[in-house]
Amino acid sequence: MSTITVPFPALKSKPRPPDGEGSVQVQLDPSLRIGTAKVFAVYGKGGIGKSTTSSNLSVAFTKLGKRVLQIGCDPKHDSTFTLTKRLVPTVIDALETVDFHSEELRIEDFVYPGFGGVMCVEAGGPPAGTGCGGYVVGQTVKLLKEHHLLEDTDVVIFDVLGDVVCGGFAAPLQHADRALIVTANDFDSIFAMNRIVAAIQAKSKNYNVRLGGVIANRSAGTDQIDKFNDRVGLKTMARFPDLDVIRRSRLKKSTLFEMESSPELEAVKAEYIRLAQALWDGTDPLIAEPMKDRDIFDLLGFD
Amino acid sequence: MQLTVWTYEGPPHVGAMRVATALRDVHYVLHAPQGDTYADLLFTMIERRSARPPVTYTTFQARDLGGDTAELFKSSVRDAYERFKPQALLVGASCTAELIQDDPGGLARTMGLPIPVIPLELPSYQRKENWGAAETFYQLVRALCLPLAPPPGTVREPRSADRRPRCNVLGATALGFRHRDDVREITGLLEQLGIEINVVAPLNAGPSDIRRLGEADFNVVLYPETASPAAQWLQRTFGQPMTRTVPIGVGATRDFIREVAALAGVEIPPAVLQGDSRLVWYSRSVDSTYLTGKRVFVFGDATHAVAAARIASEELGFKVVGIGTYSREFAREIRDAAARYGVEPLICDDYLQVEAKVAELQPELVLGTQMERHIAKRLGIPCAVISAPVHVQDFPARYAPQMGWEGANVIFDTWVHPLMMGLEEHLLGMFRNDFEFHEGAAPSHLGSTTARANPTEVVTAPAVVELQSQSGEAASEPQVQPAASGPTWAADAEKELRKIPFFVRGKAKRNTERYANDQSVAVITVETLYEAKAHYSR
Repeated sequence: MSTITVPFPALKSKPRPPDGEGSVQVQLDPSLRIGTAKVFAVYGKGGIGKSTTSSNLSVAFTKLGKRVLQIGCDPKHDSTFTLTKRLVPTVIDALETVDFHSEELRIEDFVYPGFGGVMCVEAGGPPAGTGCGGYVVGQTVKLLKEHHLLEDTDVVIFDVLGDVVCGGFAAPLQHADRALIVTANDFDSIFAMNRIVAAIQAKSKNYNVRLGGVIANRSAGTDQIDKFNDRVGLKTMARFPDLDVIRRSRLKKSTLFEMESSPELEAVKAEYIRLAQALWDGTDPLIAEPMKDRDIFDLLGFD
Repeated sequence: MQLTVWTYEGPPHVGAMRVATALRDVHYVLHAPQGDTYADLLFTMIERRSARPPVTYTTFQARDLGGDTAELFKSSVRDAYERFKPQALLVGASCTAELIQDDPGGLARTMGLPIPVIPLELPSYQRKENWGAAETFYQLVRALCLPLAPPPGTVREPRSADRRPRCNVLGATALGFRHRDDVREITGLLEQLGIEINVVAPLNAGPSDIRRLGEADFNVVLYPETASPAAQWLQRTFGQPMTRTVPIGVGATRDFIREVAALAGVEIPPAVLQGDSRLVWYSRSVDSTYLTGKRVFVFGDATHAVAAARIASEELGFKVVGIGTYSREFAREIRDAAARYGVEPLICDDYLQVEAKVAELQPELVLGTQMERHIAKRLGIPCAVISAPVHVQDFPARYAPQMGWEGANVIFDTWVHPLMMGLEEHLLGMFRNDFEFHEGAAPSHLGSTTARANPTEVVTAPAVVELQSQSGEAASEPQVQPAASGPTWAADAEKELRKIPFFVRGKAKRNTERYANDQSVAVITVETLYEAKAHYSR
């Protein structure tokens, strides 16, 4: 084996680019356009309720008569759990069974019908610490396109894992029209939201994706969110209080639309339908400027 | 990518041509260099159609690449529309033209032609001919039928009792393996069941017929390789169920009749379930067990291969020793079938690998494509062709379907003759050195004087000459190769082995080698050969 000696200063010569900058982003294959469907990507801090929100939103879209495809992009692959009532095999699982000869796959190997006719796909993820989440999302979109599923779909919802940890996990942004951020009224989830805003800003230079708005989840008040929104230029699109029925629906493996009716539940369902209608009618793109990490600490403090 | 001199399937644009050529009043403008026009010959020389395919090639040359190939494409579209006046236009790029990325679909869309323009995106370097045909048919069906589709989620109205059930027959294309005759056989069968044929497509259908697809109650999918995506879309969009059974063979034809009758909601007349099958005649014949247990190797497109394996094992009493396909998209069906017969599936499109497999398995009959016919010929094994890729002889003048009752009869003849002819050839070989029948001997009816007077001008039946010269060639080739790791064959033993009739030669060779292995004999001599024979006949 031969080695070469690199002078130490050469390694240090380039300053580290700021978040979301640089040339390492995976470029979208131009043939992988999703087509005519409206595409939404749901982001947010881990455990904030993205999957619950996505699934209920999917059902709300079906109530409006839309054909919906929900794509879970989390290695945890439980995004569509409440829709299908089970943990369905992921696209990566399906590809493994055919030794990655994707032409052998059939629709029923990776698309599962869920509650209300929502078509459910779990992209899955690479083994922890290896591989690329962007590859998984790219393969999923390619397969869905090859099997002509995207042509007859009105709404596509990407449910993306916790935080934007690398360019790969930001891959759904390349396909999306609007990104939605789920957050609670607390410092940690707003901090995560700020990083997501930065990622979307970076992607919007080359792709169609724009910020749609904020979904305040599990929050009685929204004072912290409001403070942040005013500062960066975001808007809250919907608000869901911290209700026990939402927690119980998850345990019952069902969406809110299958739970026993109660006045508070009806209000939440109406809010979902209102959100779905607003998204379908189209939202003005938000131009938000992410904050410096230090400034968020100053704005929201440690409470 | 792999370079090869022979392929089972062409690039996907050839699949698109097969669909375009099958249709009426549809034209295909193909962005392609001059060399790609060779594909016309497949349709004129092999299928021997009455007209060239309805395809306009842009035939760009090297110097065009320096100019405006996009303008060349647009003028080709304009000219083709003016000249052929089609009712729908397919546009796309061949494998070579894909690389210059002119986006034929986008270009044609901006031209404002008064007919539907259907862009085809066929990834030439990932997919192949059958996929291209299926994709083209799907895009065409979707483009023409979508405006007539009911709103999503609409439940299909049940058929009113006073109307006969109607179905479409989907999948037959140009350059298909016996598609013309299969369509005739199956439409006849459906009509016997009291089912009306709504549309047959793509074969001989025009855009106006395609638009009527939604009016049928269900779809009959004859060739899943070309019709599946379109049929699945029709199922999703119009709520039309589709058939899963392909009626090749007696058992499959019966299953097909039952499936169709259930979909149509009709009673099956008992006579229809019996049909004109001659299988019973063969099964009751005195010699019907004559071919039982013949070892067969099956390879082809998945639909024909799976059907052939079923016929071989269930209807003719053969033993399936290997099964495979070149179409990855249908590998699943082949894996399932292989599991049923307890053999290893072979999913590959490399004919050299297939040849190695045939040589290893030493079957007594090969059921394959034209490619396997060549392989079998070289290895001296009888062969029958069951699937595309096609050759001139797969377009016979006579009626020769593969599907339905008559199809089963045709298949019986096609498979059994090579086995029987093989026996005849053996007899010829056996008597070749007889004093009466040797090469120089004149036929007895010509009299002895003629023969003596002109010994070199003996008139021999051409068929015999051909057979003799063939077996002469075969004998000079190293037909029996020693196994790489096992015992080696001495020259005299090998010569002796060749005297054994070819249809048991493989078995004799295997047995002798096994015996030699057991006895730790390194070189097989004539003695070993006869010791082994004695050992196994004990």
